[in-house]
Amino acid sequence: MIELDRVSKAFANEETGQLVRALHDVSLAVEENEFVCLLGPSGCGKSTLLNLVAGFERPTAGRVLFEGRPVQAAGPERGVVFQDPTLFPWLTVAQNIDFGLRNLGLGAAERRRIAERFVSLVGLADFARARPHQLSGGMKQRVQLARVLALDPRALLMDEPFGAVDAQTRDRLQDQLLDIWESHRTTVLFVTHNVEEAVYLADRVAVLAPAPDGITADVPIAIPRPRDRYSEETREATMALMGVLADLPCCVLPSRRVGETPSREPAITKPG
Amino acid sequence: MPEAHLRPTAQASASAAPVLRLARRRVSGIGILTAVASVLIPLALWWGLAAIVMHLRQVAFPTPYETALRLLELVRGRLLNDFTIYQHVADSLQRWALGFGLAVGVGVSSGLLLGWSRLFERLSMPTVTALQLVPGLAWIPVAILLFGIGERATVFMIAITALAPIVINTTAGVKGVNELFIRAARMMGADDRTLFTRVLLPGSLPHLLSGLRVGFANGWRVLVAGEMIVGTGTGLGYSIIQSRWTLDYAGAFVCIALICLIGLLAERGVLLPLERKTIERWGLARTG
Repeated sequence: MIELDRVSKAFANEETGQLVRALHDVSLAVEENEFVCLLGPSGCGKSTLLNLVAGFERPTAGRVLFEGRPVQAAGPERGVVFQDPTLFPWLTVAQNIDFGLRNLGLGAAERRRIAERFVSLVGLADFARARPHQLSGGMKQRVQLARVLALDPRALLMDEPFGAVDAQTRDRLQDQLLDIWESHRTTVLFVTHNVEEAVYLADRVAVLAPAPDGITADVPIAIPRPRDRYSEETREATMALMGVLADLPCCVLPSRRVGETPSREPAITKPG
Repeated sequence: MPEAHLRPTAQASASAAPVLRLARRRVSGIGILTAVASVLIPLALWWGLAAIVMHLRQVAFPTPYETALRLLELVRGRLLNDFTIYQHVADSLQRWALGFGLAVGVGVSSGLLLGWSRLFERLSMPTVTALQLVPGLAWIPVAILLFGIGERATVFMIAITALAPIVINTTAGVKGVNELFIRAARMMGADDRTLFTRVLLPGSLPHLLSGLRVGFANGWRVLVAGEMIVGTGTGLGYSIIQSRWTLDYAGAFVCIALICLIGLLAERGVLLPLERKTIERWGLARTG
């Protein structure tokens, strides 16, 4: 469903003009309805890889395919949940969800029905008319999830979506995500640097090392669902993955702190 | 920053906002005193200046009292240069509204374009900056050449002086829109038009509004210069210039005071609250 075929991506450093290699010769395939976690240290290019699949960036070399066709641009069939909350602050929760529905050209009544359904799905029906700045970090991420789910995406691309919320909230968000994934059955590509998170969520964990190494391990997580965060087999899988991570070289780029906008990792430039 | 997102808001609801706003607006005794003093002090200075000038130069420099008396006369219907003060105010306001409206239309749309396209920005920004540096009076020959003496020349002068700050601020606003908002919009299927009207425009609104505020003030200030070439006998600016011949300096001072007052009211009563409210509703910044 998602296929990266020997993909490389380099960015020009804005000050020095020097090319920085973010991804080198990376290949990865994600099957339909599979939940794949992309695990790796900060700055190893995980977000870059996700941005390529999302269509925000173009690969310098190689091909990125979605359902067999090369990715040209971003679109609602690949719903992205960003690490930083990117809800539009000038719209209410319901209007934020409505934003994408409008672009689909649906009628007002139908849009309202869908928005209501997905606001309720993430448990925020009481906050439909609140503005983003009135919500907590966890609630904002739930709205982000709702607004892409409402567009009925073929795949969910999630970029450390729970990286900036407290541990307790994160556990609850993970459970909520798994519930939704099981009832809606979509493909998920989930970026994280948190090993426990990867083991708890994923069917399969792809470990991404800093360029030029690429994907160094592809580990199926065979633990039956629903999973227990604290069971023996969960712990074993976690330890095994941590061993894989420990063997990786430290990343070359400065690590990104939680909540910082990814201004260094992928150099962001406005298109056009 | 993540702390800021998590702040108090778990139990916040849409109704919390107005309550907060009311609480902050509560007026204190010191606040009233300061407000009164901010009016009285300049009046006292004006009065002192008038006394000194009259003493040293033996000319009738209108005091606040004389100006107020003249204002009262005019308000009661006495004519100023053959027209009522209401006519002067209304005509000036109309010219300003036309010029400012023109500047907003042209300024906001070109600001959106310049903010979006680096090429357009590089091509046009030097001109816009230069435009900002041209003093109001310098536009008179240009306006006369373009439109001849008349209303259109005056409206042109108001528009052209209001234009630059609107363009500059809108451009800055669009450039300041978080790249992630643009990505999110594209991901949700936004076409170019949707992106401009539903993301870039509201995203740049706080900047845009401060541009409007500056542009408004510029346009209103140039009224005197603009009405030099209006050709008809009305307008606050026109009346000020006419006082050179009629020697009705108190009348001129009334017009100056009215220009200040109307400007102040529009800025404090409309534009500044609008800007504040926007920033407040946006949740203080683009953190979303």
